[in-house]
Amino acid sequence: MKIAVLYGTETGNAAMLADDIKSALDGDHDVACADLAAIDPAGLDGQDFHVIVCSTYGDGDVPASAKPFMTKLEALAPKLSHVRFAIFGLGDSEYAETFAHGSMKLAEALVAREAVQVGTRLTHNATADELPEDIALPWIRAILADLEDAV
Amino acid sequence: MRGKVAIVGAGPAGCFVAQSLLKDAPALEIALIDCLPTPYGLIRYGVAPDHQGTKAITRQFSRIFERQGARFFGNVHIGRDLSLDMLRDAYDAVVLAAGLSQDRRLGIAGDDLPGVYGAGSLIRSLQSHPFADPLPALGPNPLIVGNGNVAIDLLRLLSKSPRELAGSDLGAEATAWLAGNGFRSITVLGRSPGAKAKFDPLMIRELANLSRVRISLTDPGQADGDDEQKRIDALAGIDGIGSGPIEVKFCFSRVPLSVEGADHVTGLRVASPQGEKIIEASSIVTAVGFASNGELGASETDGAAGKPGSRLYSAGWFGHGPKGAIPDARLSAQTIAAQVLGELAADNRRIGSAIFENLPDVVDYAGWQRIEAAELLGRNDERCRAKLQSIDAMLQAARSNHAGSGEAGL
Repeated sequence: MKIAVLYGTETGNAAMLADDIKSALDGDHDVACADLAAIDPAGLDGQDFHVIVCSTYGDGDVPASAKPFMTKLEALAPKLSHVRFAIFGLGDSEYAETFAHGSMKLAEALVAREAVQVGTRLTHNATADELPEDIALPWIRAILADLEDAV
Repeated sequence: MRGKVAIVGAGPAGCFVAQSLLKDAPALEIALIDCLPTPYGLIRYGVAPDHQGTKAITRQFSRIFERQGARFFGNVHIGRDLSLDMLRDAYDAVVLAAGLSQDRRLGIAGDDLPGVYGAGSLIRSLQSHPFADPLPALGPNPLIVGNGNVAIDLLRLLSKSPRELAGSDLGAEATAWLAGNGFRSITVLGRSPGAKAKFDPLMIRELANLSRVRISLTDPGQADGDDEQKRIDALAGIDGIGSGPIEVKFCFSRVPLSVEGADHVTGLRVASPQGEKIIEASSIVTAVGFASNGELGASETDGAAGKPGSRLYSAGWFGHGPKGAIPDARLSAQTIAAQVLGELAADNRRIGSAIFENLPDVVDYAGWQRIEAAELLGRNDERCRAKLQSIDAMLQAARSNHAGSGEAGL
């Protein structure tokens, strides 16, 4: 499968997890990894399956590197019905009211442009013992397995 | 690209520079040097002990050593164990990322009276820093001057109940000190109106969860623009909140004029919108910024940010002053790294890490992993780690080849 791992990051933690996902999937799939800052939503390729990793910053906002993407998504309103994506969120339960809202807002904005969300959004809590890759890798493998079964 | 780069200071600024350099030039020989036996600087000793999620960024930094090939040289004090000139001779480029360890003073009469403490110094004491002063007696009504995140961190820590500190890495001494304080009130005072204060609205909102406070605001002011409105909204959200035993008073638009008291602080004289007045205080904690300790010469004060000399660079707060949080450190490190790579000229005659060979008690990354393993052995339901405080205890743990060293790196 052709997979585009995209990340929205502020401190680099989401970039690191995106790297881990790319490394884990590299053998079985054709995987590219990029910062959302370098991506134009109108240019998303329908041939790719998009795996998005997105943190939350400030007041439940999307992180800095996802902001241009988000702005274009809202301002230009491209129709994205050809785009399939799964999204993983990073958050910190110390800030319970806005926990993982960045990934939630990004998912909502994509779905509002008719992009198709595959699987459920999973989140990692930074104030927790488990490592993000330990829950993100089984999550994405299960989603990809379901997709391949459906083909 | 080949070459040798030494980075002085293994805190977030130095780590981000190393990360960025090695991402673009994986073959570089990089030394991250710290005067402490432990890496990560302000992540370990600055980010509040109850903000463990923020501290989790060290997972990124550990990869610089474990996967990207940087080497750690801890317990090496540049300016004492090695001169900066010697280091510059040994490396093709040197990046100064030593941070700013001194508290900026208020610069008003009485600011050196007993009972005036710097926030940086107090935070080092609270965070079990090896060079920390003993925790001071703040008395029943301390006053914090400053309206940045450091002031809010302090207010929150001082106000928390033992239960609210569960899961943190606050040390035993600081825990006992906090429990014995018995504060009646804590005042947070700033020059600017609330709308222009420097703290993040998120930090203010977090205060609403505190169980032991009752909060009031004086002169928060009017918002001009979205960012200011967010701050005002956050402040409005905590005004009047809580019914706990500690009265927390935010006083905005108050310019400190003089510290009052004969042989100890009794209060702070301020100019307020209602005229001059004296606010009583049993102690004053200044959280008004940080300055260099001068050991490494050029800092932001020389206006030489980024490039203080030939093959010499500066990054982080040391380079550009005490502004910006972790994301800013990351972005500015990427700029510095690009500059270093653009100008790097490898010279094989430079001896690189051989310069550390004859120094005593240098702690390498494996040594730090043994320190960390020893600290994690002390974790329990209340605390996520038990920091070793003295340099001796750290060196002993770094040298040990038992005591949990088998778990190092997990």
